[in-house]
Amino acid sequence: MGLRFYFLRQALLNMKRNVTVHILSLGTIVASLLILGAFLLLFGNLSNWLRQWGTALSMSVYLKDGTSAYKRDKIDSFIRGLPGAQIRRFISKEDAMNELKAALREEAGFLERLTHNPLPASYEVVFEASRTEEIDPEKIKQQLEALDGVEEVQHNRQWLKRLEGVLDVVSLIGYIIGGLLCLCVVFIVTNTIKLTIYSRRDEIEILKLVGATDWFIKLPFLLEGMIQGILGGGLAILALFLGYLAFSAKKIYLIGPAPLEFVFLPVGYVAIVFFLSTVLGIIGSFIAIGRFFDV
Amino acid sequence: MIQLFHVSKNFGPSIALNTIDIKIAKGEFVFVTGPSGAGKTTLLRLIFGAEKPATGHILINAINLNRISRSKLDLLRRKIGFVFQDFKLLPKKTVFENVAIALEVTGLRPKVVKKKTHQTLRLVGLAEKEKAYPLSLSGGEQQRVAIARAIVKDPLILLADEPTGNLDPDLTREIMTLFKNIHQRGTTVVIATHSRQLLEGTDCRTIVLNQGNISGDTR
Repeated sequence: MGLRFYFLRQALLNMKRNVTVHILSLGTIVASLLILGAFLLLFGNLSNWLRQWGTALSMSVYLKDGTSAYKRDKIDSFIRGLPGAQIRRFISKEDAMNELKAALREEAGFLERLTHNPLPASYEVVFEASRTEEIDPEKIKQQLEALDGVEEVQHNRQWLKRLEGVLDVVSLIGYIIGGLLCLCVVFIVTNTIKLTIYSRRDEIEILKLVGATDWFIKLPFLLEGMIQGILGGGLAILALFLGYLAFSAKKIYLIGPAPLEFVFLPVGYVAIVFFLSTVLGIIGSFIAIGRFFDV
Repeated sequence: MIQLFHVSKNFGPSIALNTIDIKIAKGEFVFVTGPSGAGKTTLLRLIFGAEKPATGHILINAINLNRISRSKLDLLRRKIGFVFQDFKLLPKKTVFENVAIALEVTGLRPKVVKKKTHQTLRLVGLAEKEKAYPLSLSGGEQQRVAIARAIVKDPLILLADEPTGNLDPDLTREIMTLFKNIHQRGTTVVIATHSRQLLEGTDCRTIVLNQGNISGDTR
């Protein structure tokens, strides 16, 4: 019990004696882990959004210009007959133009030069979430496009595959950057511990002369690296959470009118960041005691 | 207790010890003397395991230092107290901490460390100075801190390298009385010195070294 406290006390004393070096090192570790955490946060939320978007099925059914009311009724009835389908709204050519003008705001002036309205009328169709599994959007698209008066049908799952591809690339880049940042943390801890060892070289010599075992001398340095990792991980998570609070106060309108929910890292991810920083701290100090001082 | 068989040691071309044989029995009080460069410090460092002999064998308490593992040497050093010529005190640690360090490495409980350190500091007459830092002490006081650190762990062997080198005659007598007291408790004491004053009128065994050879032994 006493010996354990001795090691901890020594580790904390080492940090106190080299406080400037440790603060600088801690700052760099926090910055590295913050970048890593921010990436995880962003990536996690993008995946969530994509998943949410993927489970919901919606379609835009664009009509040919001049489609008669009779043909529109037939299309309308066909859509209402689809399993779980609801027509959210019908957008006439005029409505489409007005929405475009509203979206373009000051830049909408050039639309006045158009001789005719090129935008098609369309239906916005949504499907009940509980029934999206039994629906084949491609098959419905083909059926709708076969109807007289339908120009084109687009559904959100066409985009989903493309976005998933982009997300795969982003995750690969994330892994590479994450790996480099981890190496950076190990490098920083190693050098900090080396400096501490150097500043205590006289004490180490005396400890050896009075019969201290190698591990008796090394353990406080190992603890020191671990404490750096724990503090670095803890502060990085705290900073990330504060950043998240500031950012999540603003609603994010990414696609459509519904705001997307921006969530913090799940507990598992927080534990991983914390565990990773602790392990990196231990690895860094382990390299330092192995390579720098041969007691 | 201490046995050296045909031990030689050289540092590059310079021969520090030349095939010497020494036996020191348990509880003996021995002076090792000779001019500067005779090999006195090297002999102590070999006994302490801080140097390895070029040839020959050194046995401490029947343990051959040539065949001892690193970890066992650490444990053996806990049974040997060493008073260094330059004291080797840590300036940023208090007198108490400098002495306690020798017990802390053995893994003793803090309570025991505290008690034994207090006792030893009283023994060397530094009970009042335990919170002081080494650099605020006189040479004699620093020497006593170094002795306290060497004896706090009740060593089987006490090695001292020029322990009175920089002290005036009164302090020298004081330090020697301290060594005699430690010896009376059963510790084998080996003191390396070139001080004639220390050896005058002594009835203790004296080994004389000269250019790495034993030129006299009063045994």
